[in-house]
Amino acid sequence: MAGATLRRNLLEALVIAAATTLVAVSVNALRPSGLPLVAHTPYQTLVPCPEPGGPAVAIGPDDPALASSRSFLIDARTGDEYRARHLARAVSVPFDWLDPIPEGTLEELARAIAASRATRVVVYGDGGRPDSGEHLGREISGRGIKNVCFVRGGAPTVLDGAEGGPP
Amino acid sequence: MTWGRTVPWLAVPVRWYLAALFVGASLHKIVEPYAFAVDVATYDILPLWAVNLTAVVLPWLELTAGLMLLAGWRVRTASLLVAGMVAVFLVALLIALGRGLDMSCGCFASQGAEDHPISWLTALRDLTWLALAGFVLAADRGMAGADWLLSKRGRA
Repeated sequence: MAGATLRRNLLEALVIAAATTLVAVSVNALRPSGLPLVAHTPYQTLVPCPEPGGPAVAIGPDDPALASSRSFLIDARTGDEYRARHLARAVSVPFDWLDPIPEGTLEELARAIAASRATRVVVYGDGGRPDSGEHLGREISGRGIKNVCFVRGGAPTVLDGAEGGPP
Repeated sequence: MTWGRTVPWLAVPVRWYLAALFVGASLHKIVEPYAFAVDVATYDILPLWAVNLTAVVLPWLELTAGLMLLAGWRVRTASLLVAGMVAVFLVALLIALGRGLDMSCGCFASQGAEDHPISWLTALRDLTWLALAGFVLAADRGMAGADWLLSKRGRA
């Protein structure tokens, strides 16, 4: 009995769907803004790629984390910029806008962070828009490095009084 | 009033909720078929030849099912249509989520991927609607609707 009712309801649904299709197609044909029933050129759908990387917390240049011995500092600028001037204890990991950090470099970095017994990683970059420090922070965070921060404003805001020359 | 007589009445506001939902969701798609076609294409599930046909027919089907629920006419048939549509939306949504697409579901007007991106909560919402449609299908006896009035007139 219930099966028969359901079959009847399904049949009704099919009839109503067919009638609605007829109405929809007719209205579409009559209206000026109607669509061609078959599209001939693909739609330009703009779906942004999922943002690669993980979370990285923004901190200010005066944040105590920068001076803390429990922070592992990373300079995301180019090697030349790093050699010219950098924060004490900062290691150079130049951010490449085109290529991800090589797996070997990332493993070395992870080992160095573990050996330092740091509880957080602080990255500073060129402070530009976009900021290489922020992007490097998100990249390493997305690839398994925990508790990553980046300095808002980057090197220009943190390098007053920083040491120069090779580490 | 026994529980058996109460449940069909409980289904009435649920039916009206689904009706308002579907009528509301259909209107902007009927008015802006091109925008809805872009939404359909963004899911990247249907072949190109089926995108426009879906964008033209689906909103009218939503409107029809919504109006049938609102009027209480052929309630079970309407709730079957609603359940079928929500099930299709849910599958499309799960495929989009599985692909990691950062997009709006295209369910209602003025939704952008930035403000209303799809998420597992969207899937949960669709599941809830599917459950509500199932409840109406199982429990609603067309109370306070055309079916009910017609059957009363038939008995009188």
